[in-house]
Amino acid sequence: MNKSGYVEGGSLSDLRVLDLTRVWAGPLATRIFGDFGAQIIKISDPRTPVANTNGVNNKLNRNKLSLGLRLDKDSGKGIFRDLVAISDVVIENFRPRVMRNLSLAYDQLKAINHDIVMCSMPGFGMEGPYSEYPAYGTTAEAIAGVPSLIGYEPSVPMPTGIAYGDPISGLHAIGAVLASLRNRDIAGGGQFIDVALAAGPVITTGEFLVASSADSYEREVYGNKHTHQSPHGAYKAAGDDNWIAISVTNDQEWMSLRSVADDDRLSDPRFFEFEGRKQNEKLIDQVISEWVANREAVDLMNLLQNAGVPAGRVANSRQFLNDPHLAARDFFVWLDEQEFGLKQYEGQSIPGNYVDKSNWEPSHQMGQDSRYILEDILGYSDEQCHSLASEGAVAFNRELPTSDQRD
Amino acid sequence: MQDRHSQNEQTAENLPLRGIKVVEAAQGVAGPFCGRFLAALGAKVIKVERPPEGDWSRKIGPFLPGNVRSECSALYLYNNMGKESVLLDWETESGMSALETLVSSADILIEDWDRAYREEIGLTTDRFTSLNSELIEICATPFGLTGPYSRWKSTPIVQLALGGYLYLTGNSSEEPLMLPGHQPDYLTGLNAHNAVQIALWERARSGRGQFLEMSMMENLGVLHQFTFEMETYSGVVRNRNGLQWNKVGPFASYGITTLPCDDGYVAFGASTEDQWERLCAMLGREDLLDDPEFDTRLKRSQKSDTLDSLITDWMKGKTRQEVFLESSEKWFLPVAPVLNLNEVLRDPQFVQRNLFQPLSHPEAGEALYPTFPFAMSEIKPTVARAPLLGEHTSDVLGGLA
Repeated sequence: MNKSGYVEGGSLSDLRVLDLTRVWAGPLATRIFGDFGAQIIKISDPRTPVANTNGVNNKLNRNKLSLGLRLDKDSGKGIFRDLVAISDVVIENFRPRVMRNLSLAYDQLKAINHDIVMCSMPGFGMEGPYSEYPAYGTTAEAIAGVPSLIGYEPSVPMPTGIAYGDPISGLHAIGAVLASLRNRDIAGGGQFIDVALAAGPVITTGEFLVASSADSYEREVYGNKHTHQSPHGAYKAAGDDNWIAISVTNDQEWMSLRSVADDDRLSDPRFFEFEGRKQNEKLIDQVISEWVANREAVDLMNLLQNAGVPAGRVANSRQFLNDPHLAARDFFVWLDEQEFGLKQYEGQSIPGNYVDKSNWEPSHQMGQDSRYILEDILGYSDEQCHSLASEGAVAFNRELPTSDQRD
Repeated sequence: MQDRHSQNEQTAENLPLRGIKVVEAAQGVAGPFCGRFLAALGAKVIKVERPPEGDWSRKIGPFLPGNVRSECSALYLYNNMGKESVLLDWETESGMSALETLVSSADILIEDWDRAYREEIGLTTDRFTSLNSELIEICATPFGLTGPYSRWKSTPIVQLALGGYLYLTGNSSEEPLMLPGHQPDYLTGLNAHNAVQIALWERARSGRGQFLEMSMMENLGVLHQFTFEMETYSGVVRNRNGLQWNKVGPFASYGITTLPCDDGYVAFGASTEDQWERLCAMLGREDLLDDPEFDTRLKRSQKSDTLDSLITDWMKGKTRQEVFLESSEKWFLPVAPVLNLNEVLRDPQFVQRNLFQPLSHPEAGEALYPTFPFAMSEIKPTVARAPLLGEHTSDVLGGLA
């Protein structure tokens, strides 16, 4: 990030985004804008500082400027409105009534800036019977039906373990905002976008819902068993909680697996075709389990893949962070965090678009950029900044004393 | 139910991607899901399918009832909404030449040709961008086109395994469980759409097209919650813990748990101090707030079995919906019923958002199709049925001559 807050060269460098989001889905969305050079002004209430000791907020807040601002104070609202007048996008993920109660709903922002694109990301959407209910990624995936499609047996659903509602919602926000900005440039005028967290995981199970609506889907949930592929599952390899995932998608891959595993029990000609393998899946799983039990998952993966069988070690966090393929592709990025030193993070999966990780900036502390934003972007005077600090409307980390310190 | 196809063609001229021409040679889910967004936002998406069978997802279920099975795959029908289908074999010389002609006047090419396939048919990465410098070509493959895994095969479970998701789902020490269907592919399609939108933004300013090489494994990598930070900040390997939230590291907490009631399961998400206080109030157990056994998040997470049984007792005699409404409305706790698919289709909130729309298909008949989780004030994305195999071949290729 250079002095202006733009990542040099990124394709979104001409955009300014006001980021009121918290937790995960929203910050993930604005992180993508920031990675590609948009100026992200992250606005946080100074009374609820962003925790950084566990690292999550640091990872999500890279390439963002930090403004500590109280929207419940008139002078704070005034600053926000001044920013809206010169910004392209506002993103927030409060409950629907929060922005309304602050008199900062879309219609009110549109009166300030006709072209503003506002994206709200509430749990269930801005309207409807559940609109004011709280939601997390974990509860969103539940009402979207995802756990009902996972399990060891059909009667007990299994949550994903990864709060699946959040990332899907974050990714949807990006496309909808960019499409709206394109529309603005072609036809003029802004947009209000309402992304419902709970609706996200519905979209990624579309085929099951389409079939269910026509009464032609019978739910079949038995662990990792697959309707078209056999064998298919995760098998326990050597070591503590190390597993190898194997899926045989056709008869040729089966022959390759058979030759690699080299066990007479797999030579039965009935197994040369899918139906025969599916009918004898228990026996085949048993043989594979015995074969892999004392072998390293990584060795098995290499052996199977080199023979043309789809296989992958079941990577935990440490193994993923040390993955040689990802390292060879320069996927990761190390950022020098102010309090924690160099930390390894995932880079960006969206390719191209003139992104340059060497310009990436680690997360900023609360209010670190308040003075720059007020003076350099909005043209406020030093005197005004002091006055805003003393009434507690703006937090200026390290640069100006807070009202408490002045008293 | 009405066929919305013709109606949508009239409204497409007001959409943000009007005038954008997309050629989609990708199959399955990732590339086609990206194309589906572009079609919904107004682009003309020409899906190129190789004869005789077309996109492989036509052979994968679940299937809608109908006489021609290859036209009834719900997977295909869902991921290819609003597109045109052209039969074209790019592995023949004349087919490749026709594809080149199509692409030379296109804005976007979506494909999923991996390294092994490119080497097999002799396809370089600049084949199409060199014909058309404004072309945005997105190539979405499991591992990308470089690196030690780039010639490997993949499937959703393999992808989830290497991407670090499989390890996190299921009971601790038991076989880790995969997410349903084609989740890695859907996530990749979503982000491929984002990549294309960013590239369109770039092109509108600089006039430059691009070749965008996207890896599914990396897409899973950028969507982890705090898996890596538990490791890099606290030295803890995140594990899977069945129906309860993980109990290790700085994220240990009670309240994110899935529990049975009279007619199924309910997901609770009550992890903050405020939510803990409201949870105790809801259970009529405010005494726990003063109990030193429960005064930190870590202690509560270690007592999760005790707390689970308190909630389970409280839920006795209640349905999922009753628990959901009471917890959400009265106590403002993030709680939701675990719905099955038929319940999802009828959920009043989703219905009010028009999340599902009826469409009629000439072979597969009528069904409800999920639309989009976002609603926009000025743009109404189109919702139209998927094409029959080769339905538009003569329209599109005839026009090339």
